[in-house]
Amino acid sequence: MNSVALFLEYSAVGIASGGIYALIALGIVVIFKSSRTFNFAMGEMMMLSAYFFYTAAVTFSMGIFFGVVAALIGSVAVSLLIERFALRPMMGRPFIAIVMVTFGIGSIIRGVVGMIWGPNDLQIPAILSRSPVLLGSIFIPGKTARAFAIAVVIVISLIAFLRYSRAGIALRAAAADQITAYSMGIDVRRVIAFSWVIAAVTGCISGILMANVNTLTPHLGLVALNVLSVVILGGMNSIGGVLVAGFIIGWLESVTGWILGTEFREITPYILALLVLLVRPTGLFGTKEIERI
Amino acid sequence: MAAALEIRDLAVVYQGVIQALTNLSLRVPEGSIVALLGANGAGKTTTLKAVSGFLPLEDGRVTRGSITLGGQDILKLAPHMIVRRGIFHVREGRHIFSEMTVEENLIASTFAQRKSRPRKDAFDEVYNYFPILSQRRNQAAGYLSGGEQQMLAIGRALVADPEMILLDEPSLGLAPLIVQEIFEIVAQINREKKVSILLVEQNAVIALKYASYGYVIENGRTVMAGSTEELSANEDIQKFYLGVETERAA
Repeated sequence: MNSVALFLEYSAVGIASGGIYALIALGIVVIFKSSRTFNFAMGEMMMLSAYFFYTAAVTFSMGIFFGVVAALIGSVAVSLLIERFALRPMMGRPFIAIVMVTFGIGSIIRGVVGMIWGPNDLQIPAILSRSPVLLGSIFIPGKTARAFAIAVVIVISLIAFLRYSRAGIALRAAAADQITAYSMGIDVRRVIAFSWVIAAVTGCISGILMANVNTLTPHLGLVALNVLSVVILGGMNSIGGVLVAGFIIGWLESVTGWILGTEFREITPYILALLVLLVRPTGLFGTKEIERI
Repeated sequence: MAAALEIRDLAVVYQGVIQALTNLSLRVPEGSIVALLGANGAGKTTTLKAVSGFLPLEDGRVTRGSITLGGQDILKLAPHMIVRRGIFHVREGRHIFSEMTVEENLIASTFAQRKSRPRKDAFDEVYNYFPILSQRRNQAAGYLSGGEQQMLAIGRALVADPEMILLDEPSLGLAPLIVQEIFEIVAQINREKKVSILLVEQNAVIALKYASYGYVIENGRTVMAGSTEELSANEDIQKFYLGVETERAA
């Protein structure tokens, strides 16, 4: 195989894994928009959802479909509890204090999951077919390709929903100016709770997909740290930016891993994030306020 | 059904220590335009915030007094519930959502409606009063001129179909002709829709021209009240508010 073909293949695989990054990043960005809260527990929410799916589908033999439904319900419930009892009382407190709360919640979830389900890898029922997808002569592993398709469909639907629905407009209004949003009858606390529901859904789907592509362990959530660079690249407050940034980070990881070796794969996203912060702190698509001159 | 707003003996404290209002009383009869005059820091905007329920959002608190709408206590209500009772606060500085289009700004305001009404009817009414907004409906609101932004801010209030608009400094930073135009439309809305208006305005000349009744507040208390004819004829008012205005007009 010549190097051009290899490059294309690594690129395709990388972009494909970027789909899940975009899905996770969307959950982070939506919460950040509604309440200026950076949710470091996103990865653990994702991992917990995958355990919910495992328990429903395997332990209680509910099958894949009802397993996903049960996992979604469980994730939304946990997410709303976190918002109501850990984050809402922190409203108006310094950013760093709120971030530490989410960090703490992430650690608690990781610990509790380890106590309940144990530290070992679990096999969840295969949702995604293994049969590889061929794009011309480019070969993409079946699970990665299908996880990509599901993630991208969900990301695009959510972006469209947030762009055009009344609920999406309420979210953007609360994001722009809380007091003015209140003055227009928008219950900002409900908007924030709603953003946690969206994050629960994206976290749950990405968790189940991720556990399918890899395996299920209490450390599944660590992937969300890579997503940090996606969010920084796309722009903290840009819903649309997550998709492009997810693809770029996924591609970069894959290609640098191929060219420079896997050890570089781990650090490239962070180097890029650092560069973005230095050169363009708002990210590629983060909005600066429109000011009329 | 319109209802009078009544504020009695109101005292407000920010951050537990800063006394913004000490003893403020006023009444806005249904369908009227009432002006609230006073120097910077006298407590005009704080009064409006107390009515619309914004104080808790800015670490402020009503420590004494009452605010009622049509006899019903609204002091304990959350801000998004107060607007659904029919009091819409058009904030100082307009606060339009600059990243959103004009129409999305109006859609956001549909959350304030007391009873649902077809979106088209509500928006047509806004575009009828402010035709320029219709031309710009799909533009980002941040690109509107200052006057157009003020029109949009008032338009958002119209979407809610309120009983009363709290209008804070609508003339801020606008050219005299635009100010005139906006006040004409506000007066028209007041006449045609029987919306009462509590107006806070630095420009005392124009406030006294359009309002029927006025209150003067100093250091957080009501110091004078009367019809706008009486106030315009008052020597202190002429000296401190109308006189200041002519010097400032340059």
